[in-house]
Amino acid sequence: MTQVARPTVAPPPDWSFPDATRHLLANGLTLLTYDVPGQYVLSVRLGLPVSLRDEPRDKEGVATILARTLDEGTARHSAEEFARMLERKGVSFGAGPSESGLFLDLDVVKGNLDPALDLLRQILTEPAFPEAEVARHVRTRLAEIEQERAVAAHRASLEFVRTFYAPSDRWSRPTGGSAETVATITRDDVAALHREHVVAAGATMAVAGDLGGLDVRAMVEAWLGAWPAGPRARESFLTASAALSDERARIVLVDRPGSVQSELLVGCPGPDRSVDGGWAPYPVIGFVLGGAPNSRIDAVLREDKGYTYGIRSSFRPRRSGGMFLTSGSVRADSTAESLRLLVDILVSPARGFSDKEIRAGVDFIRKTAPGRYATADAIADEAVAMALDGRTTKFTTDNLRDLATVDRARVEAAYARFAAAAGVAGAPEAPGAGWTIVVVGDAAEHREAVEALGLGPVTVVAED
Amino acid sequence: MTTIDYPLAERTLDNGLRVIVSEDHTVPTVAVNLWVGVGSRHEAPGRTGFAHLFEHLMFQGSRNVASGEHFSALMEEGGRLNATTWFDRTNYFETVPTGALELALWLEADRHGHLLDAVNQENLDNQRDVVKEEKRQRYDNVPYGSALVDLYATAFPEGHPYHHPTIGSMEDLDAATLEDVHAFFRTHYGPNNTVLTLAGDVTPERGFAVAERYLGHLPPIPLAPRPRVPQLPPILGPVRLDRAGDVPNDRLYVAFRLPVDATPAYHACSIAIDVLGGLASSRLTRRLVRRDQTATSVHGWTMGLVDGVSLGALTVDVVAGADADDVEAGLCEELEAFARQGPDAAELESVVADTERSWLSSLSSIEERADHISHHALLTGDPAYVNTFLDQVRAVTPQEVRQAAERWLAPSARAVVRFLADSSGEVAA
Repeated sequence: MTQVARPTVAPPPDWSFPDATRHLLANGLTLLTYDVPGQYVLSVRLGLPVSLRDEPRDKEGVATILARTLDEGTARHSAEEFARMLERKGVSFGAGPSESGLFLDLDVVKGNLDPALDLLRQILTEPAFPEAEVARHVRTRLAEIEQERAVAAHRASLEFVRTFYAPSDRWSRPTGGSAETVATITRDDVAALHREHVVAAGATMAVAGDLGGLDVRAMVEAWLGAWPAGPRARESFLTASAALSDERARIVLVDRPGSVQSELLVGCPGPDRSVDGGWAPYPVIGFVLGGAPNSRIDAVLREDKGYTYGIRSSFRPRRSGGMFLTSGSVRADSTAESLRLLVDILVSPARGFSDKEIRAGVDFIRKTAPGRYATADAIADEAVAMALDGRTTKFTTDNLRDLATVDRARVEAAYARFAAAAGVAGAPEAPGAGWTIVVVGDAAEHREAVEALGLGPVTVVAED
Repeated sequence: MTTIDYPLAERTLDNGLRVIVSEDHTVPTVAVNLWVGVGSRHEAPGRTGFAHLFEHLMFQGSRNVASGEHFSALMEEGGRLNATTWFDRTNYFETVPTGALELALWLEADRHGHLLDAVNQENLDNQRDVVKEEKRQRYDNVPYGSALVDLYATAFPEGHPYHHPTIGSMEDLDAATLEDVHAFFRTHYGPNNTVLTLAGDVTPERGFAVAERYLGHLPPIPLAPRPRVPQLPPILGPVRLDRAGDVPNDRLYVAFRLPVDATPAYHACSIAIDVLGGLASSRLTRRLVRRDQTATSVHGWTMGLVDGVSLGALTVDVVAGADADDVEAGLCEELEAFARQGPDAAELESVVADTERSWLSSLSSIEERADHISHHALLTGDPAYVNTFLDQVRAVTPQEVRQAAERWLAPSARAVVRFLADSSGEVAA
């Protein structure tokens, strides 16, 4: 049998994020439409600049309950009736708060967009928040808090934000609230948050899919034109940055006796998209360190040592500031050794990158873009995410263009600036300086060995 | 009602490789998707977990490709790729810019034809360790992690192809030798046991030509497929397994044997499960979550399989303080009522509308579309299923749904796996 020679690859054509048609409604709602032929399910995404900081301190979680009860009954329909109305039109609907704002997602086949927008209007402007439904969702959220505690990766995230952010900062506490605060939430709390914040001013709506033959602008004007603007003008994005804890650089070991794996979460402050020198190098760094099976971390911890199924690193930009996070689980008896190797790899860029690594990262991110943004949901998601970051998808395109020019020198300079700002220089005498490290695992088994690594002070907390 | 008609062109190469091309030039990328007719249902006792371990080894190099190079070579060209193993098959897939299509096929040919040149004790040992961590992460270190494994063992009889899970037994993996790996490859990996789908920016002419150029030389293997096992009847039960221990709340998995996938009876059962527990307006949600408030959530799902049985289940998270026995009794009442009444018009309309949206969503990306095409070409024989599935669902009558529920979803036919948060609960088989 004959084998064929390895083929060469023709470079892909230049690519830009699809163009939007933009329209500002009188009530302050911005509509972005993306016509994507062949996408028969339309994705409607709505982003509102609603801050978790708008929740009363003793009612944290109210934005989450609000998101979950928006479609649980309206002025004219019971919760059950409304669920059936959505389903008869094949509408999937969901909503949830995040650090950058409140997101509403609605997917529907092209032929049902008009009735779906009427249903969305009712969700936004006529929710009744029936007492029984709010109480039920409060109980469900309380049960969910227990579920989250039982999952190591969730438990690690909770401990991470508690350690990383200043105790006074909203972000140091769970997005969905804690048991103490959630338990006190009433329908009046939810209705008050809705009245003041679920308003059209500053909201961004993206509609993506096969829009041929549809007058989306007229439909949205008809159904959402009367959505109240709200009490004041709003930007489309939130601006407040988070306060970090002065004592964040340490190791917290959450005790889970008998764990067969240890969950690791390692992080430090990172840049946002407006960082000096440009954003483009940072996803490349994330890719080279922990973005793929061949990245530096998995090359050692998975492919050489067999300690893990996989560990991932990424930069998480926000409107102002961001984080660099690495997470994954490792075999219990390799906990300390894995942590030592992991932190060493995270600071290894101080010793340089190779041209080949940089090329691989740049090419992967750049050349996957057409495929990553091929579907209606991915396009609408990106459009709203950019709006809540105070940008448009012009950034997505410009960043890809800039990425093409990124080379080793630029990435090394970007890493150096990031490491200096975060205080994670990786000096031999203090290899763990600057990192917030959470380990969820068996404290009795691993504490001594983790302390002996010299990565920083170790605090053990009981699994609560 | 949305009508779809994705183009499909098909050709079988001389070596038995079935090639299907679904042309779509909206994005300059191509999804390359291979389904190999081997999954955990083909594993012999003492050799469980083998199909999955083998899938890992397919990334560890082949005759002309270094370990890890399959990933790096494609990712550098903008490829997104992976592979999965399941009861019925193993699939390998990448979505690449159009210009990298031939590279993708060349790499696939090298490992699907010449893997054994590169398999050695070192990468076998390493990937065995990685698979053990995959198992710990997915099954052992999460609450309810053993639920599906328990369901398979409870719902399907000992010795049935689906009695053991794809992840397999770690003891069996430990016992695997290099010779086993070689034998496995020679038995199952060949062009005549594989389907290749290309979906995206490629014409049928070019797709068939490049498939021939890169994969046409692979020699067919001697195939001795066993016939699929006969349809399993519903359980004469109920049967149950209780697990008491460290979980946040009680959870019930109430499962049923179903007819094999892609049959009218399977569609009818699937609709019945949706009416009972698959939608926000489903009967069990209304009863247990909204009315009784003894459950925080209800889910209904089906798993279409081809070897003599499929699986359907209703999953219920029980409210703290509510009685799991009472919840199960309420669930059984609803099963009985549904078997008498069947779905009403609004229930059927909701399921059809929901199915339409979710099916069209899954076909909206070329990678999922290619995967569905390979799936049905390999397992049910009909790649055009992507275009006809919704018509098949719409054709199911209320009476067929009622009859399916009466036969397949009877309370006496249930297999129940319960996770009980109360550690004083008894563990019974």
